[in-house]
Amino acid sequence: MSVQHRKSSALTLATMLLLLFVIVGCSNTGSGDESSSAASDQTSTKSITMSWPRDIGTMNPHTYNPSQLFAQSMLYEPLISYQKDGKLEPALAESWTISDDGKVYTFKLRQGVKFSDGTPFNAEIVKKNFDAVMKNKDTHSWLGIVGVLDKTEVVDDQTFRLTLTEPYYPVLQDLSVVRPFRFLGEAGFPDDGDTSQGIKEPIGTGPWMLADYKQDEYAVFKRNPNYWGTAPKVDQITVKIIPDGETRVLAFEKGDLDLIYGEGVISLDAFQQLRDNDEYVTQLSDPVGTRSLLLNSSNPKLSDVRVRMALQQGFNKQAMVEGVTSGLEEPADTVLSKNYPYTNVNLEPITYDVEKSKDLLDEAGWKLPAGGTVREKDGQQLDFEMIFDKTDPIQKAMAETIQAEWSELGVKVNLTGLELTVQIKRLKANDFDLYFWYNYGAPYDPHSFINVVASPGFGISETLSALPMKKELDEQVHAALSSTDETKRQELYGSILKTLQEQSAIVPISYIKKTAVYQKKISNFIFPANRDENPFVGIELGNQ
Amino acid sequence: MIGYIGKRMIAIIPIVFIATLVTFALIHISPVDPAEAYLTAAHIYPTPELLAQKRHEFGLDQPLLTQYAHTLQKIAKLDFGTSYLTNKPVWDEVKLRLPATAELAFWSMLLSALVSIPLGILAAVYKNSWIDMVSRAISYFGASIPQFWLGYLLIFFFSVKLDWLPVEGRGSWENLVLPTITLSLILIAIYTRLLRSSVLEQLQETYVQYARTRGIRERVIMLKHVLKIAISPLITGMGMSMGKLLTGTIIVEQVFSWPGFGRYFVDAIFNRDIPVIQCYVFLAACLFIGCNLLVDLVQFVMDPRISAKGRAEH
Repeated sequence: MSVQHRKSSALTLATMLLLLFVIVGCSNTGSGDESSSAASDQTSTKSITMSWPRDIGTMNPHTYNPSQLFAQSMLYEPLISYQKDGKLEPALAESWTISDDGKVYTFKLRQGVKFSDGTPFNAEIVKKNFDAVMKNKDTHSWLGIVGVLDKTEVVDDQTFRLTLTEPYYPVLQDLSVVRPFRFLGEAGFPDDGDTSQGIKEPIGTGPWMLADYKQDEYAVFKRNPNYWGTAPKVDQITVKIIPDGETRVLAFEKGDLDLIYGEGVISLDAFQQLRDNDEYVTQLSDPVGTRSLLLNSSNPKLSDVRVRMALQQGFNKQAMVEGVTSGLEEPADTVLSKNYPYTNVNLEPITYDVEKSKDLLDEAGWKLPAGGTVREKDGQQLDFEMIFDKTDPIQKAMAETIQAEWSELGVKVNLTGLELTVQIKRLKANDFDLYFWYNYGAPYDPHSFINVVASPGFGISETLSALPMKKELDEQVHAALSSTDETKRQELYGSILKTLQEQSAIVPISYIKKTAVYQKKISNFIFPANRDENPFVGIELGNQ
Repeated sequence: MIGYIGKRMIAIIPIVFIATLVTFALIHISPVDPAEAYLTAAHIYPTPELLAQKRHEFGLDQPLLTQYAHTLQKIAKLDFGTSYLTNKPVWDEVKLRLPATAELAFWSMLLSALVSIPLGILAAVYKNSWIDMVSRAISYFGASIPQFWLGYLLIFFFSVKLDWLPVEGRGSWENLVLPTITLSLILIAIYTRLLRSSVLEQLQETYVQYARTRGIRERVIMLKHVLKIAISPLITGMGMSMGKLLTGTIIVEQVFSWPGFGRYFVDAIFNRDIPVIQCYVFLAACLFIGCNLLVDLVQFVMDPRISAKGRAEH
C-alpha cells in the first residue's frame, strides 16, 4: 500500500466528517429564539435596555431575596416617598397627620389612584397589605416600625390610620423603604391572603408593569396605562440578566445595552476605561453609604481611646482611597455623610499625623523595644487580626495598605480573608479585632445606624461596649428615636455623632458611590435619593 | 451483557451513598448554620427565636443520624426540599436549568469530536507535516488558554468588533456558537493528541502490516481496523468530559450569561443554599457514574473481549 493511498483515504475521511459538521451546524436553526427577540426589541425608539447581575426574582412586594429592590420599586409604590436630603414627599398618601403623643399616624390617600389592572387603590387595600406584612412580623423585625405597630384601621375609603405602642419618629422613613410596606392589588393576593408564600400576579400602582419575563434571562417592563403620576418618557425597560461584570461591559460596548448602573456592577478598571471614552456618559452618585473600619473596643488593647485614635491617624486615608478606588470613592471624615437628615453636624475631622500617632501609642504605654519592630506593653505585643471579605478586591487592597502603614507605627496586623457569611457571623459573635463595615444608606439612615449603635446583636453595639459613655450613648439613642421634638432630636443626633467621632471606634474610610454608564442617546439620568429605588422615571431618549 | 450491566448498576449504590454522606458531613462541618444561612439568604435578621424555629423546621435539632436517614429518604424520592433563596422546590429549579446545560454540552461534545477526530487522524497519518504542526499548535493553544479569557476574546472579536454574533444569552443558534467554541477548544486539544498517539501506535502493529501486504485498501484498514481500536481511549476521554460538561460549565455559563445548571450552583454556593448544593452533588455523582457506565458499555459493544472486570484481554 502506497503512502499516497494512505493519505488520500485519511483526507476523504476527514472531509466527510467536516462536511457532516457543516450540515449539522447549518440545520441547527430550529431552537426557539423568542428570548433574543424579546430581549433585543430595540426597534422602538422609546425602549431602554439595561442589565442586572441577578434575576429580578418573584416580584412579591412583601418578601426579600431573591426579589431585586430596583425591580420591586418599579411596580410597587410607598405611601411616602424619600427624596434628596431626606425630604419626605407625598406618594400614595397625599397628606398625613401625627398625633401630639407621636403614636397615631393618619394618612389621607391620594384620590383616583388605580392598580395596573384598573382596580381602585383605597384604605381597604392598604390595610390588607399592612395586615399581610404584619402576619409575618418576625420576618420583618429588622424594620423599627414593625416592632411598635399596634393597630391598622380603615377610617374611610380614602383615610388610613396606624397606631403605635410607643412613639417612634422614623415611621415615615420606614414606610418609604422598598419592602415590605408597599401595595399589591387585590387580584395579586393568594386565596388565604398570606403573601409570604407567594403571590398570584405582580399588580402594583407604580409607573411600570411586568410585561414579559424569563427567569435568569430577561424581564421586560412596560408603562402602566393606569398610572396616576407623570407617565415615564420611555415606553419600555428591558432588563437583561448578565451575571458577569466584564460581559456586561462588552455588551454595552457592542450597543446591546443602553445603561449600566448600580453599586459595584462593573469593575473600577472597566468604569475608568468607559469614563475615558468620549462615546459614553458616566456619572457618580452622591454618597450612598460609608465604608468604615470597626476597632473592637471590647478587645483590651483597643479599649484605650488613645490606641484607637493613634490607629485612625496613622494611615493616609486620602492616598489609600484614591489609590485603591481610582478616585471613585471619596475619603470620609465622618461615619455618616452629610446628605442624611440630622447629620449635617460640625465634627472635627481626624487627620493623618504619624508623629502624633506614635506619641499617642507611647503615651498609652505601648513602647517600641530596642531593636524591635512591634510595640510592647507588659510583655504583650501590639498586634491585631483584621478580617476582610476575600472576594472583595477593594477590602483586600485596603487591608494590605493599612497593614503596611501601621507596621511603620510598630503595630502588627494579621490579615484573614474570609467568606462573607463567615465574616458576618464573626461580627455578630463579636469575635474580631478589626472589621470592614458599611452603614445602610437612605432611607434607612441615620435612624437605623443609631439603632444598631444601641441594640445588641448587630455587632456595632458590642464594638462600642468598652466606651466609658456607652450607657449614656444608648440612652441618647432611645431618646432620639422616640422623641417627637425636632430640635431635641437634632441635638441628640449631634451629641451621638460627636461622641462616636471622638471615640474613634468606627473609623470612616470612604463614601461609596453608585456608578452609571450610558449611551449618549439617554438624557436626564438622575440617581434616586432612595438607595434601593430605580432611576427610570425621569429618563429621556434622544435621537442619537 | 445484561449481567455486566446489572453488576455495574449495583456498584452505583455505594458510590452515591458515599457522595451523599460526604456532602452531609461537609455541610455539618461548615461554620455556617443552615438555619442562619436560610435567614441570611432571605434577608431576615436571625433573632435567636427565629433561628430556633428554623432549626426545628429543618430538623436540625434532631440527632445527626436521624437527619441523615431523613435526607436519604427524601433523596430516594427525588425530593431535595425547597431552595432557601427562591422558596421553590429544588428539583423543579434544576429541571428548568439542566436542558440549557445539556444543550451546551451536546454541541460542545459534537464540535470537539467533529474537529478532533479528523485532525487527530490526519496528524498521525501525516506525522511531522504541516497539518501535524497545526494540530500541535491548536492543542497547545487550547490546553493553555484560560476558558474565561478565551470567552472574552471571542466576544470581543466576533461580537463587539465584527458584530457577527450576540454577546450573551440563550435562544437562537447564534447564541450557541461562541460558548460552544470556548468549551470545545480544550476538548479538541486533548482529543486530538490522544487520537494522534493511539493511531500512531496502532499503525505500528503487525496486523496493519499484514493487512497491507494482503492488499487491503488503506481506507478500509483505517476505518475497519485501526480506528476501531485507536478510538477506544478517546471514548473514555469523552465520557469523562461529558460528566464534566453536564455538571455545569460554570465559567462559560457565567461569561456568556447562559442560564444553566453551573450558574445556578455558583449562586447557591454564594448564598449557602444548602438544599441546592446537596442536590447538585447528588446529581453530579449520578451523572459521572452514568457517563462512565455508558463509556464502558460502548467499549463493551465495540470490543466484546472486554470482560466484566472491564479489561481487554488482548
